[in-house]
Amino acid sequence: MQQFIVALIALVALAFSIWKLMPARRRLRALMAIDAWAARRPRLAGWREHSLKPRLLRAGGTGCGGCPANTQPRTR
Amino acid sequence: MDAATQSLRIALLGVPNCGKTALFNRLTGSRQKVANYAGVTVERREGERRARDGRGLRVLDLPGTYSLTPTTLDEAITRDVLLGRVAGESAPELVVCVVDAVHLAVGLRLALEVKRVGVPMVIALNRMDVARRRGVQIDPARLSAELGVAVLPTIAVKRGGADELIASIESPRWLEHRVVTAPGWQPPSAEDAEQTQSDLRGILASVGYVPAPENSWDKALDRVLLNPLGGLIVFALVMFFIFQAVFTWATPLMDGIEALFGSFGGWVNANMGDGPLRSLLVDGVIAGAGGVLVFLPQIIILFFFILVFEDSGYLPRAAYLLDRLMGWVGLSGRAFIPLLSSHACAIPGIMAARTIPNWRDRLTTIMVAPLMTCSARLPVYSLLISAFIPAREIGWFNLQGIVLFSLYAAGILSSFLVAFVLKLFAGARRYSPLMLELPDFQWPHAGNLVLGLWERVKIFVSRVGGIILALTIILWVLSTYPAPPPDATGPAIQYSFAGQLGAMLQTVFAPIGFNWQISIALVPGLAAREVAVSALGTVYAMSATGDDQIAAQLEPVIAQGWSLATACSLLAWYVFAPQCLSTLAVVKRETNSWRYPLIMAGYLFALAYLASFITYRAVGALT
Repeated sequence: MQQFIVALIALVALAFSIWKLMPARRRLRALMAIDAWAARRPRLAGWREHSLKPRLLRAGGTGCGGCPANTQPRTR
Repeated sequence: MDAATQSLRIALLGVPNCGKTALFNRLTGSRQKVANYAGVTVERREGERRARDGRGLRVLDLPGTYSLTPTTLDEAITRDVLLGRVAGESAPELVVCVVDAVHLAVGLRLALEVKRVGVPMVIALNRMDVARRRGVQIDPARLSAELGVAVLPTIAVKRGGADELIASIESPRWLEHRVVTAPGWQPPSAEDAEQTQSDLRGILASVGYVPAPENSWDKALDRVLLNPLGGLIVFALVMFFIFQAVFTWATPLMDGIEALFGSFGGWVNANMGDGPLRSLLVDGVIAGAGGVLVFLPQIIILFFFILVFEDSGYLPRAAYLLDRLMGWVGLSGRAFIPLLSSHACAIPGIMAARTIPNWRDRLTTIMVAPLMTCSARLPVYSLLISAFIPAREIGWFNLQGIVLFSLYAAGILSSFLVAFVLKLFAGARRYSPLMLELPDFQWPHAGNLVLGLWERVKIFVSRVGGIILALTIILWVLSTYPAPPPDATGPAIQYSFAGQLGAMLQTVFAPIGFNWQISIALVPGLAAREVAVSALGTVYAMSATGDDQIAAQLEPVIAQGWSLATACSLLAWYVFAPQCLSTLAVVKRETNSWRYPLIMAGYLFALAYLASFITYRAVGALT
């Protein structure tokens, strides 16, 4: 069981690292592709509005996501 | 289309340091960086506001500009967005021209120019509280009548300070006046500029504007802080004090966090069955990522001081002081703010170089920005200093703080040296003096400080819990598999992928004193520098035999295992070591070429290797 959990954690860590280290422009394109796909599915409208849209706005900014110039925009 | 589904694009525009970003934060609820100097915003930012009637308002925060005729890249962004020249983006339907009430004439000149463009506009007369306190006399109603646009007083940093403006921009009337075509604009001729100036004088006279009398406190402070000798002494003392504080004040908190992780590791070991998951938690997560979190108090103290200086208005004074020296080594005085920003992270620093009008000056600044000590290097420096430099007092000063100050100074001096060499290669150029508007001194705004520190804490913790944790887990996997053969005699990690990679890399790094554990840690350190610390924690935890507990106690292990020469060599490596991959990607984007990031990576690797080699040999010979 421990082997299985460790394998799962390692896979998630690998996917996350690839995503975070991806060039900003490619990450933005990937998010836009996901957004276009989600737009065709009305059931995902809530997720698209509350989760995907802020990510898209943030990815549209610049940098590595680790600097204060790139903090997450919010809606008021 | 009903009102609820129509959205309005609003652009915030104004001269540098008039409070646009503070107003943007107030309108959208964002927490973008604000500071008391020009050039903080170098790119358009977008946020959203939901009006009371349900409509979405898209708010754009644009870089500051003195006119619509740009001299720098960031100013060109403002003009292009305003005129709808950005691909795929229409012109904003409403412009909020932010004018600093304390320096009305400068801001109003831009407002007159924007008004001629023909986009619907309102003026936010910002910092009205400061203007009133200073005795500035402005009548917004009369000003509004003269200009023919709404003039609304605001205090962007105060809750409720923009209510009147909010009510105005949320009004549906702007939708009725929506401009469909891109506004027309021609660069103003000399006669146009003269006409604007004359209009401005007429308006100011007719509204009975009385400017603020000169502040005697500011004047007295500037006499000391801008003095070529006295100012430099104050600057050096201030910097020295900061690094002393980073070490002295943070120690008790760091000890507390370290003890917490140590006991947590012990608890997991005692209560969890032996197996790979326990090893991952203890040797990977706690020893690795936990070992980086220990440095949070130092990051907080360092940024507390940086934020205080940013908000008080001291930083542009420091830029003015260093202008002559920077000019001598081939850097523009405008490079000061980008280089200072690089002490937090090289990425915003490199982007801030957009405020430098001359391409060669800008390129030099970009090329040397990674030599500034970014905050990600602080955990590496702290770990090595704590392990090898005794916490001895020398007079009033702490020896560890002195070494940390020296490392930061080494980064700055090496950037000057590289800029000087670049100047020699590129040939002498005409010195262009620094033109910089000195902001008024002000007490740091408590809200800005708390928010700024909170952002830094969030960034650091999310990096530890995000990319650092993920890379540490991957390194743990590489350090664990494949399992050692049955007849293995050494620690299991030696037979793993990471162990084999470390053995290969060691042939390259042995001349500069790095062992295979350090060689492994350098690889994930390319993704984010702090990962080098977590990687060392994991690698040493995996190298431990029997019941040795490494979790969150890396410092004594390396103090015993490494020579002083190796530690100094690694410190020298990190003064120059090539930046994380994100930095190289940003250099590529900012220069629009792979040539410069490749040159940067090459020269930084060569410098790092050379400096480590000399340090290792010299310290080895002396000890």
